[in-house]
Amino acid sequence: MEDFSENESWENWFRRHGPKLLLCARQWTVSMADAEDVVQEAFIRFWRRQRGLSGEPLALLLTSVRRAGLDIARRRVRREAREKSAMAEDSGPNPLFEPLPDGDDRRIAIESALGRLAPEQREVLALKIWGELTFAEIAGQLGIPPNTAASRYRYALAALRRELTAAGCHG
Amino acid sequence: MDDDFQDLEAELGRLRPAAPRSHLLARIECDVAPRRLVLRGWLWAAMPAAAALVAAAVFGVRWATRPSPEVSAPQLAAGPVLKPVTVRDILVSTRDEGYVMLADGWPARRMREAHLDTIVWKDPRSAASLQWSVPREEIRIVPVSFQ
Repeated sequence: MEDFSENESWENWFRRHGPKLLLCARQWTVSMADAEDVVQEAFIRFWRRQRGLSGEPLALLLTSVRRAGLDIARRRVRREAREKSAMAEDSGPNPLFEPLPDGDDRRIAIESALGRLAPEQREVLALKIWGELTFAEIAGQLGIPPNTAASRYRYALAALRRELTAAGCHG
Repeated sequence: MDDDFQDLEAELGRLRPAAPRSHLLARIECDVAPRRLVLRGWLWAAMPAAAALVAAAVFGVRWATRPSPEVSAPQLAAGPVLKPVTVRDILVSTRDEGYVMLADGWPARRMREAHLDTIVWKDPRSAASLQWSVPREEIRIVPVSFQ
């Protein structure tokens, strides 16, 4: 994983890693607005107080994002009105990934298939592929044994391939 | 990972997560920028007190504390080795400063919070301790949506 330079501006760092954080945040939140809130909260905390700490900055941030995501999910139970509003907002196009240059059907199919995965499989997949964490790091994040993280990852890939095959969209 | 999945993994790895929307960058900028100025102000204000505390810790700690019996003289001669042991952040007050417009036209609520950060250092050899409390002001920009 790329290291963090003390002299780097927050804009540069965020432009490079922000998309990964947001994608992972969306695995733990019900709306794009909530995902943005947790990324903002986690990033500000990291930038102000934690960037001098040892360890992988992205892994540290993903921990914060997940905690903030779970907190916001709990608070959400008490805010049904806002939830309706946010769900309505998310009915618009908020793709998980950048469009592909050579046709976008495959990306859309993958996003759709990801949405049908079990949440515990999807979060492991997102942390592994786009969060760039190891199974040991994922296990630490989720409080599960590394073997369980690896199994969930394999199940996620198998389920994803089944979904894509069923959709008749082979790579 | 299984060979079976290598193609799929490679394909997923090639997908680039979508960039955050511009208003998220604007919100973070609002959060990062004002505090940088405020913090600098507090740091300058707190500098003399901090210098005095550190000087007191370095030069005065030996007479203020009783070394434990197992501490040898050469060890103490090296001076105190203070290590941070606790960090507390107390929210003292919150003030709602009303609505503001972000640069991209999104409405947001501006909250001003007063905190008191307290850091305690200890020298594990002699039980000497040093406490530093610094007031801090934080401005939070919270996005709002009107229904």
